[in-house]
Amino acid sequence: MPPASKEDRSKLHKLALKGSSKTIVEFFDFACNTILFQRGVYPPEDFTTVKKYGLNMMTTCDDQVKAYIKKIMSQLSRWMQKAKISKLVIVVTSKETGEHVERWQFDVNMFNDASKKKPSASGDKENSAPATQEASPDKSDEDVQKEIQALFRQITASVSFLPMLDGNCTFNVLVYADADSEVPLEWGDSDAKEVKNAEKVMLRSFSTNSHRIDTVVSYRLAD
Amino acid sequence: MATTSVLTPIKRRDGIFSTRFAGGRVPLTPSPKTPRTQVIQDAGVPTESIHHGNANLISRFSRSVSKTNVRDSPKSNIASRPTRDSPRRLDLGVSDFALTGTGPRPGTATSAKNTPSRSRSGRAASVHRTPKRTQSKVNYTAADRFIPNRTTSEAISTSGAVVKLDNEQTPGRRPKSSASDGSVVLSAGASSAFDLGRHPSSSDTTASLSLEGLSLNDNDEDDENEAPMTKASPNTVAYQQSVAEACGVSIKQRILAFKPAAPESSRPIDLRSQYNRPIKPAAASASHFRRRVLTAPERVLDAPGLVDDYYLNLLDWSSGNQVAIGLERSVYVWSAESGSVSSLMECPADTYIASVKWSGDGAYVAAGLGTGEVQIWDVEDQTKLRSMYGHETRVSVMGWNKHILSTGARSGLVYNHDVRIAQHKVAELVSHTSEVCGLEWRADGAQLATGGNDNLVSIWDARSLNAPKFQKTNHKAAIKALAWCPWQSNLLATGGGSHDRNIHFWNTTSGARVNSIDTGSQVTSLRWSMAYKELVSSSGFPDNSLSIWSYPTLVKNIEIPAHESRVLHSALSPDGQMLATAAADESLKFWKVFEKKAGTANLAAGGSATVKAGLTKATTIR
Repeated sequence: MPPASKEDRSKLHKLALKGSSKTIVEFFDFACNTILFQRGVYPPEDFTTVKKYGLNMMTTCDDQVKAYIKKIMSQLSRWMQKAKISKLVIVVTSKETGEHVERWQFDVNMFNDASKKKPSASGDKENSAPATQEASPDKSDEDVQKEIQALFRQITASVSFLPMLDGNCTFNVLVYADADSEVPLEWGDSDAKEVKNAEKVMLRSFSTNSHRIDTVVSYRLAD
Repeated sequence: MATTSVLTPIKRRDGIFSTRFAGGRVPLTPSPKTPRTQVIQDAGVPTESIHHGNANLISRFSRSVSKTNVRDSPKSNIASRPTRDSPRRLDLGVSDFALTGTGPRPGTATSAKNTPSRSRSGRAASVHRTPKRTQSKVNYTAADRFIPNRTTSEAISTSGAVVKLDNEQTPGRRPKSSASDGSVVLSAGASSAFDLGRHPSSSDTTASLSLEGLSLNDNDEDDENEAPMTKASPNTVAYQQSVAEACGVSIKQRILAFKPAAPESSRPIDLRSQYNRPIKPAAASASHFRRRVLTAPERVLDAPGLVDDYYLNLLDWSSGNQVAIGLERSVYVWSAESGSVSSLMECPADTYIASVKWSGDGAYVAAGLGTGEVQIWDVEDQTKLRSMYGHETRVSVMGWNKHILSTGARSGLVYNHDVRIAQHKVAELVSHTSEVCGLEWRADGAQLATGGNDNLVSIWDARSLNAPKFQKTNHKAAIKALAWCPWQSNLLATGGGSHDRNIHFWNTTSGARVNSIDTGSQVTSLRWSMAYKELVSSSGFPDNSLSIWSYPTLVKNIEIPAHESRVLHSALSPDGQMLATAAADESLKFWKVFEKKAGTANLAAGGSATVKAGLTKATTIR
């Protein structure tokens, strides 16, 4: 596959961003579901198992929650494809106190546009020598899936060090977007909703050919 | 709004001024947004200019213009001043500030977006109008939008005090005016300041300051002024910078939140319990489904000549444990007990069997033909009891309710036949406009559900068949699969064809849709289990499989790849354990999908019995 694709470089790259965005958004979707499940934002009965990334992923089967997440994700994928997003944040907030108790931040790093454009520009002329894409070595889908799997394992495992939540929480989704992004009505400016007095733990990263995702969870230190 | 009011950030001036500006804004340029520029003018009195906010802008301008060589805009005033009177300028410092603020300045940038065009026009307008008026005013507009946080700014903005300076004023006065201004400013800052303009000081000032004319000329002047201004007042710069900074941040990036609140969770969650069990839902569904489902067929029979037509209903299993299947022109009966096959009937060569249905007692088979004829056969005697005519088109589906046989035809008509009497047609159910391919009586005979190629599900009350009780249009394809829940009599499951692929669940008392499943493939039949809270669906393209779903969780427990081509029909054995499926690959397969555990009763038979059994068991254990 890799050798054959060389001639189609230009095409490949156009598709790559889209495909990568799709992968990322799908990842966000599962991450969101996983966090909602793992952190007890919704009761476990509301979740069903889906095989994904070689894992049993929990996804909500509550229609409302599903629709809610779907709305977010569809907008997200629009933004992602235009590369407008630099962070996605899921904030878990206590319903009782309104405090932000946990904050999952996924940093989206686009690999250098320049590095991508170059090969595509020269690509249609000839088989450009293996393009110099330091940032994005061609990565097979499997590798990506494996990295994501590892990240999810970590997220799942993180319940072991995260403080107990009281189970009476809700969540918000924040996006750090470029200011020139189109913003639908349902989205509005917000503060960063940082957790006060937070401990931060950096989790694994994963990358596709066009994006790298870094994950940080911050949580309230036990008093 | 032609108002030319500008906010002046802060100037080097007196503490007073600075405070003002800092607190409030200096109306330098006309801010489009602020309608409430207040001009202090006395039309009659050249000296005084007191303006109330909104009323006078125009008037102000006009007045101001006329008066002075100076241009209308306060800015211009500033600019002009330098040229004219040096002393004034000093006094005017305030005004200067205003100018700076207003000008093309970056600081103003935020407001600038909106304002620039307007302000100019406003100025222009003002200029034209102004000539006659002598007085010039400086307006402080509420313009500072930039700095939302300032408490003072609001007051100022609202007040939009205008200070007028008359060129004519004497230097001596000016100081006063300035002082007054300052005071004014202060007051303004306090809140209601606008009036200040009117204050004696204002009058003086007005005289002293002729700002109005300014605006027009200002551009150039402004520029000049600006440059010095910036240099002069570090505060301004800082201010601008901070604004820019603030803007800059926001420009590059915004934090957006999805505003709708997340749906409420149905109950508080005890995370501990959650951690302590293995991933719950998986476990739950697994344990729920701990029973094994054999994924291999119990038995496979050939069904040569099975017509590959979704709309037909060619398979049925009797209460007497016999399976009837229609293969082209013949109906065969296979005895599940003995395994013997007999040919029951053969129809004329010009037609074919379109539907087969056992009567409730398992003694008779009704066969619907392509011609619209319906024949009833006694299976034991292998004789035809009667033929019933009426339909003009093929009868593709039938259903028994005691002695009533309902037949659905390609025309979309459904007839009820009382098979005991000569005039057999007792009701005509008109609702579908296209072929009826699904028809199911509720076990108690109180309701009838029909589904058609018109994507319509009709639910009929047996007592009033003139019109359907409910018509459901949710499906986007023909509905062949219909099944009444054995343990909840008003629950109906319906499955749609290849463009729909959904199973919908209906409360047939209220007509509400209570659940849905997207199966991902054409739903060709649905059967509820009698022993488990589950139902099985058979699929056409692309899966050709059987899926077992838990209800009401809608979890798919298992999917069995069943046939090589689409599964067309299914029938449940009388004990509810075995499912027979007939597929376009011309095979008839038997699956033990609902194998009973010893000692469990059918849900339909009596939920109470099961409960009791469970209870006794529990007590014995204890």
